[in-house]
Amino acid sequence: MPVKSPISQIYALVRKDLLLEWRQRHALFGILLYVFSTVFVINLMVREPEERMWNAMFWVVQLFVCVNAVAKSFLQESRGRLLYFYSLVHPRYFIAAKLIYNVLLMMLFSSVTLVCCILFLGNPLLKPWYFLGVVLLGGVSLSLLFTMLAAIAAQASQNAALMAIMGFPLIMPILILLNNISQSAFSPVVQPGLGGMFIMLAGMDVLIIALALILFPFLWKE
Amino acid sequence: MAKNWWKILSVLLLLYVIIGGFMVPVPVIGNNQQAARSIFFHLPMWMAMYTLLTISVVNSVWYLATNDLRRDVRASSAASVGVLFGVMGFLTGMLWATYTWGGTIVNDPKQMTTAIALAIYMAYLVLRMSFTDIDKRARVSAIYNVFAFALLIPLTYIIPRTVDSLHPGSASSPGFSDKDTAGTIKMVLWPAFLGFTLLGIWIYTLRNRYKRLALKNIIHG
Amino acid sequence: MVNRISVSFFALMLLFVSTALGQDTASAVQQAAGQQNTETGAVNEFFRSNSKIYVAMGILVIIFSCITIYLVRLDRKITKLEKEK
Repeated sequence: MPVKSPISQIYALVRKDLLLEWRQRHALFGILLYVFSTVFVINLMVREPEERMWNAMFWVVQLFVCVNAVAKSFLQESRGRLLYFYSLVHPRYFIAAKLIYNVLLMMLFSSVTLVCCILFLGNPLLKPWYFLGVVLLGGVSLSLLFTMLAAIAAQASQNAALMAIMGFPLIMPILILLNNISQSAFSPVVQPGLGGMFIMLAGMDVLIIALALILFPFLWKE
Repeated sequence: MAKNWWKILSVLLLLYVIIGGFMVPVPVIGNNQQAARSIFFHLPMWMAMYTLLTISVVNSVWYLATNDLRRDVRASSAASVGVLFGVMGFLTGMLWATYTWGGTIVNDPKQMTTAIALAIYMAYLVLRMSFTDIDKRARVSAIYNVFAFALLIPLTYIIPRTVDSLHPGSASSPGFSDKDTAGTIKMVLWPAFLGFTLLGIWIYTLRNRYKRLALKNIIHG
Repeated sequence: MVNRISVSFFALMLLFVSTALGQDTASAVQQAAGQQNTETGAVNEFFRSNSKIYVAMGILVIIFSCITIYLVRLDRKITKLEKEK
């Protein structure tokens, strides 16, 4: 078999993950149900929250959805299968594929969460398209960081509680940033310093991707 | 004795700082009055913390490059002492805030982000405890350490600067350096930075030596 | 024991951050200004006496006690190691 180019290798891996996800639909629908029930519980408890509360609730739901959705991307792979991949592809392509796959997955879940929130918690948004953009961007940032953390947690004897311990403090700066950025969607005036915050968020994303690509090969060394 | 000159230097500097810190005249800054002298002891904590955490991350990267367990021991010791200094900085800040800002925890962005940063490093120490395999522990925690450090810098350096803070020197409050016309604060503050950082490194070497003894059989075996 | 201490401290940190995130800086400043001299009590009076010089003293006490606690813990660990040998 001829050696394939990195792009086609990554594409094949992402395709395999997506196919696998579609075949094991129970996990996918499990997460969707999770989103639905979480938002519904909030609805039962606070009915229609005010803007700030709405925003905060939304990002907290996002955080937990992300933890659950991304955690299984490494936890579902058995040890033998990981070794098999290890012999097939360079770890860097492997993590790149995982990152892309999780970003796609999280974009889907982010949109679903947004729809659920608007349905159950009312719609205080003045700029819905802007908010949708921020939500997709936020989904990307969250999934990038948690993919890498899931990879680390998978090494630590698949300890899911560990992922929360490691992840929540690390994700906080990103969540604060996202919360501040999305606040603009609730008011007609644009808050000052918005551009700077976007640059900072993009910078953090680039940083996480770069670190993931550099460090993952070390993590996989057995 | 020749190798220990910096320990003596540290002690002498700290003596100078403690005596000088209470003797030099300080300018009037906000409602600080004489509490402004706390700067000589509060600020160097952060300086020492950053130095130790930098030592820690450098050793972590070094470990990844060489797989030398001694590097990992250094990284963990430095992080542990770094967290100690971070906690001290946080506690001193809380006391100072109580009598100048009117609340122990006042939602100041710097106070908040450093609390997060400390939580990140505590998670590093908790992560280390969750392994039984020493090589795996070293590898995984080194990778987490790099992540932690990469987020520490934007968290404690960049984000607090974009928002208004109660800390002197930010947009709406007067800074210490502008008021320090006579240069008396600088005269004590710089030696304080050096003195406390050296003290931190000293404690770090002690912990490092202990850890190396504890792992002696494994490292040399 | 060490494990439990760090875990509980970690939880405390998370708790603090989560409560702190709820409010913004502007209200914090108002809050700080409002509370300024309304507190009473012996401890408060003590720290505010002599132009608040005792705040600096308190900070030195905190630093000293933290370092001492750390060194005592290290000392104990070394003693344990010596006994094993």
